[in-house]
Amino acid sequence: MNSVLGDRRTIIILLGPALLLYTLVKVVPVAWSLGLSFFEGNSLRGFEFVGFANFVEFAGDDAALQSVLVTLRYALLATTSQVALGYALALLYVFVLRRGSAFLRTVVFFPMVLPGVATALLFRNLVAVGPNQGPVNDLLNLLGLDSVEFLASGDLTLATALVMNLWQSMGFYAVLLYAGLLDIPEETIESARLDGANGLRLVRHVVLPLSLPILLSSIIFSFNSTLKVFDGLLALNNGGPGTETSPLTLYMYRTAFEYAEYGYGSTIAFVLTLLCLVFTLAIFRSSRRKVED
Amino acid sequence: MAQVLPTQLERPVDPSREVRPARRRRQRRLLRRIPVWLSVGLLLVVVLYPQLWMVLGSFKTQAEFLADPTWALPDRLYLDNYVTALTRGNLAVNYRNSILVTVPSLFLMITLGLGAAYALEIMVWKGRNTTLLLFLAGIMVPGQMILVPLFIAYFRIGLTNTLWPLIITYTVMGLPLVVFLMAAYLRSIPREIFEAATVDGAGPLRSFFVIAVPLMKNAILTLSLVEFFSVWNDLLIALTFTTDRDLATIQVGLLSFSDEYGQTEYGPLFAAISINIVALMILFVFLNKKIMAGLAGGAVKG
Amino acid sequence: MPTVPSSRAVGVTATALLTALSLTACGGQPGSGDGDDAPTSFTVLSANEHASMRTDLDALAAGPCAAQHEALPLEHQTVAQADVVQQITLLAGQGALPVHYIAGTSQVRPDGDLGTAGLVLDYQEALTEVGAWDDVLPAASSTITNVYGHMVSLPYQYNLEGIWYNKQLFAEHGIAEPQTFGELMAAADTLQAAGVIPFTAGGSDGWPLTRWIGMHIVREVGPQALTDIRDGRARLTDPAYVAGARALAEMAEKEYFGEGVVSRGGDQSANLFLTGEAAMTYNGSWMLNDINDPATNQIGPENVGLMPFPAVEGGAGSRDHWAANAGTAYAMLPDRYSPEVGDWLACIAGNWGSQALSSGSLSGFRVNEEVADVPAPTAMVQEQIEQIDQTVLWFEALFDAESNSLASTNVSLLVSGQMSPEDYMADLQESIDSNAR
Repeated sequence: MNSVLGDRRTIIILLGPALLLYTLVKVVPVAWSLGLSFFEGNSLRGFEFVGFANFVEFAGDDAALQSVLVTLRYALLATTSQVALGYALALLYVFVLRRGSAFLRTVVFFPMVLPGVATALLFRNLVAVGPNQGPVNDLLNLLGLDSVEFLASGDLTLATALVMNLWQSMGFYAVLLYAGLLDIPEETIESARLDGANGLRLVRHVVLPLSLPILLSSIIFSFNSTLKVFDGLLALNNGGPGTETSPLTLYMYRTAFEYAEYGYGSTIAFVLTLLCLVFTLAIFRSSRRKVED
Repeated sequence: MAQVLPTQLERPVDPSREVRPARRRRQRRLLRRIPVWLSVGLLLVVVLYPQLWMVLGSFKTQAEFLADPTWALPDRLYLDNYVTALTRGNLAVNYRNSILVTVPSLFLMITLGLGAAYALEIMVWKGRNTTLLLFLAGIMVPGQMILVPLFIAYFRIGLTNTLWPLIITYTVMGLPLVVFLMAAYLRSIPREIFEAATVDGAGPLRSFFVIAVPLMKNAILTLSLVEFFSVWNDLLIALTFTTDRDLATIQVGLLSFSDEYGQTEYGPLFAAISINIVALMILFVFLNKKIMAGLAGGAVKG
Repeated sequence: MPTVPSSRAVGVTATALLTALSLTACGGQPGSGDGDDAPTSFTVLSANEHASMRTDLDALAAGPCAAQHEALPLEHQTVAQADVVQQITLLAGQGALPVHYIAGTSQVRPDGDLGTAGLVLDYQEALTEVGAWDDVLPAASSTITNVYGHMVSLPYQYNLEGIWYNKQLFAEHGIAEPQTFGELMAAADTLQAAGVIPFTAGGSDGWPLTRWIGMHIVREVGPQALTDIRDGRARLTDPAYVAGARALAEMAEKEYFGEGVVSRGGDQSANLFLTGEAAMTYNGSWMLNDINDPATNQIGPENVGLMPFPAVEGGAGSRDHWAANAGTAYAMLPDRYSPEVGDWLACIAGNWGSQALSSGSLSGFRVNEEVADVPAPTAMVQEQIEQIDQTVLWFEALFDAESNSLASTNVSLLVSGQMSPEDYMADLQESIDSNAR
C-alpha cells in the first residue's frame, strides 16, 4: 500500500511542475531580494554591500518602528474579527440556512469582488464630513453628537480600515470555512446530538474540533495577509494622518519604489517576513497543544 | 450572532421534543427564527447598501457627486456616464486582456496546485513536510519583493510587453494559498478512501484523477472563485509588467478616470465599476450553481 | 500521520532560506541603454492619468508634425503616476527606457539616479541646435532649471499658482484684493463672520496645504528661502520658517478652511469654491479646466479672480514673485537622440503652445499660431504669465523624495492640531538632514 502512495514517478509528475515554477518565480526572486537587504542602492544606481548597516538603521528608525506597531495592531484586530465573523457566518450557512444559504453566501462574498480603489472611495464617502457628509456622521448628528472627521485621526482611520476590511473579507472567510464545515459527516453531528449535545456545546465539542484544520489554515492565511495589509490603508487615507496608519508594507513600498532605496526596502521586507514567520510558528505551536488535548 | 446561532443549531429531527403538539412546536420554531431573520436582514443591508450606492453613483453627475450628501439618490438616470465609460480609453481591450490573463492563470494555478497538494498530503515520502512549508513560506513573503527580480528576468528572457509575465506571476502568487488550502481540504478527507483504492489496485496517478479530483470539486470551485477575484482585481503586478496600453488590464484601465492633478470623474468610474460588478455577478451566480450541483451529487459527503 | 508540520521542519526551512540568501548577493546591472542605436519610433512614456498629453501629441502627429511622424512614428507607452519612480528605475536599469519619458523629480536632478547616469538630455543645447530654443518661454525655462537643477524637462504644462477668489463675494463684503497677509486674514475674518468659508483646500492631497507654509516662508524670508534650505544656509527650524507652519496651523485652528479639510479631496475643494460656498482657494492655473466648464463653475467665469500670494508684513519677499510650476519631468535619452528625434523636438517646441491652448491648457511654449476663442480666465492667466520676470518655487520643490512625502503627509497632523509647528518643521529638517548624508 505504502509503495503505491509513495510512488516516486507519481510524486514527480504531480509535484514537479508546481515546485519548479514556484522555485523559479518565487523562491529565487525572494531570496534575491532578501539578499539585497545587505546592500544599499537600486537597480539603476547599482548596489553596494553594507553588511548589517540596514538592520542597524532599522532598529533606530522611528518611522520603521511606528509602522511595525501599526502592522501588529491592524493584523491582530483584523484577523480576530474576520475569522470570528467568517466562522459565525459559515456556521449560519451550514446549520441554520442549510441549502438555502446560496443567495446569502453570494451576497456576502460579493464585496470581495470590488476593486480596492472603489471600496476605499466608498468608505471615504461613508465617513465624510462637510457639505456632502456621509451616513455615519448623519447618524452621529441624529444621536445629538457632533460630526467627527474620521480621517483626521489615526485611531478612527484604523477603525474605519478594520470595518472596511471586515466588510470586504468576512464573506471570503465564510466561504473558505463553509467548505470545511461541509465535510463534517452528518452522522457525526446526529450522534453527538443524540448524546445530548446542543447549541454552543455542540459547536465547542464537536464542530470546532472537527473543523480545526481548516480553521487553523484560515487563521494562518489571515494573519499572513493582514500582516501585509497595503491597498486598504493606502487607498483609504494614504497611511495617514501623518504616518499614523502606514504599515510596514507601505513603508517598504515607499522606501523601495518611491525613494528608490531598494536595499533598505528589502531590509524592511525581511523584517516583515520574520514577523509572519513568528506568527505562523506561534499558531502552529498553540494548535499542536490543542490537538493533543 | 453568537446568541442566535446555538438555538438554531437544533435540527428538526429531535426525538426529545417529539411528544409536544405539533402546532405549538411550529410556533416556537417561528419565534426562534425571528432573531435569525433579523440578523440576516441586517447583514443584507450592510453588505448590499454600499454596492447599491456604487451602482446609483454611476447615474450621478459630477456636481451631484460633489455637492449632494453621500446617501442622496441621483436626480435622474444620467446615462452619459456609461457612454463615457465605454468610449473613453480602452474598456473592451482592457476586458479582453483581463480575461486572457485570468483564465490561463487560474487553470495553471488550480491544476498545479491540486497536483502538488495531493503529492504533499496524500503521498507518503520523506521531505514532504518541508516542501509544504516551503510553499507556506510563500504566503509569508510580501508580494512586492518579487517584482524587481522578476522584471529583470522577464526583460532578459524577452517576455516584456506580452501578457506572459502577468500569467506566470499570477500563477505563482496564487500557488501557496492553493497548495496550502487544498492540502488542508485533502486532510479532512478520510485517508482510508485513498488507501482502500490502492488496495483495489488503482495506480497512484489513477487514484488522483479518479478519486481525489472528483472529491475536491468543491474545493476546486471555491478556490477558483477566490483566486479569480484576486487575479482580476490586481493592480500592482499589472502596473509593473506592462507599459503597453494594448496590454492594460481592467484595473489599469480604471485609472484613466482620474487626471494628473488627482481629480476623478466619479460617474464614469462608477459606471465602469458597475459594468464590472454586473458581469462578475453573472459569472458568480453561474459558478455558485455549479457548487450547489456538486453538493447535490453528494460527492463531498462521501 | 503528521497533520501539522513540526516546528523543527519550519526551522530547517528558515535556515535553508537564509543560506540561499547569502548565495544570491548579486548586484543589479546599472547603466544606460547599451546601444546608441537610433530609435525606430518616437516612443513617449507618459503618465496613465495624463491623457491630454497623448491626445495633444496625436494631434501634432496628425497635423503640423506629420512629416516627423512619417519619418519616426509616434508611439505611446504609459505608466501609472504613482509608479513612475519604480518603473523608470527598472527600465533604466535594463537600458529599456524609451526615447522620451516621464520621470520622478529627484531622479532627473544632476545628483539624481538618472542625472548621474547621464540619461537626461540637456534641452537647452538640443533646442538651440535645432533652432527652437526661442519657443520656450523664459519664465518656463527658469522654473524648470530651478526645480530640476538643469534644463532636462519640457514645459508641456506651465502653471501659475496663486489665490483664486470669488469677486462677487469680495464685493458683497466690501473686500479689496488683499496686499498683505494681515489683510488676507482680516478678509477671512470678515467672510467667516458672514457665514462664508474663507478658504478651501484639498487637504487629503497634502500639497494644497503645504503651499501655504512655503509661500508664507518665501514672502517672509525672500525668494531664495527654499534654496537656502537645500544648500544648508538656513534651517526649517529657524523662527522665520516655523512662522510659515504656524500661520497655517492658526488658519486651521480658526476653522478658516471649513469643516473636514483634512479629508477633503481636490475635486470637492474646487467644487466648494466654484459653487460659491468658499471665497478663496490656493491653486494652480490647471484649475482653469474647471473654471471654464459651465457644468462645474456655477459662480460664472467673470466672477473668478486670481491674485498672487500676498506679502508678509516686514518680509523680504515681494507679492510680484509668482509661484509657478512646470508640470512633471519629461526627459529624453541622450544616446537615443537622433536627427529624427531632433526634428520631433523642434516641431513640438514650435507647435505645442498653440495645440495645448486650443485644447484649453497653458504650457511653457510660445504660442506661435493665433488660437481663437480662448476663454477669458485663460486669457487672463496667459497675459499674467507674459508679464512675469521672476518666479518662486513651492514648499517641497527642492526636497528629496522622502522629505517631500513627509511634508505632505504630516501636514494633516499640523492642521488638525495633533502636531505643533515646531515639531512639524523639526521632523522635516531631520528627514532632510538624514537624506543629505
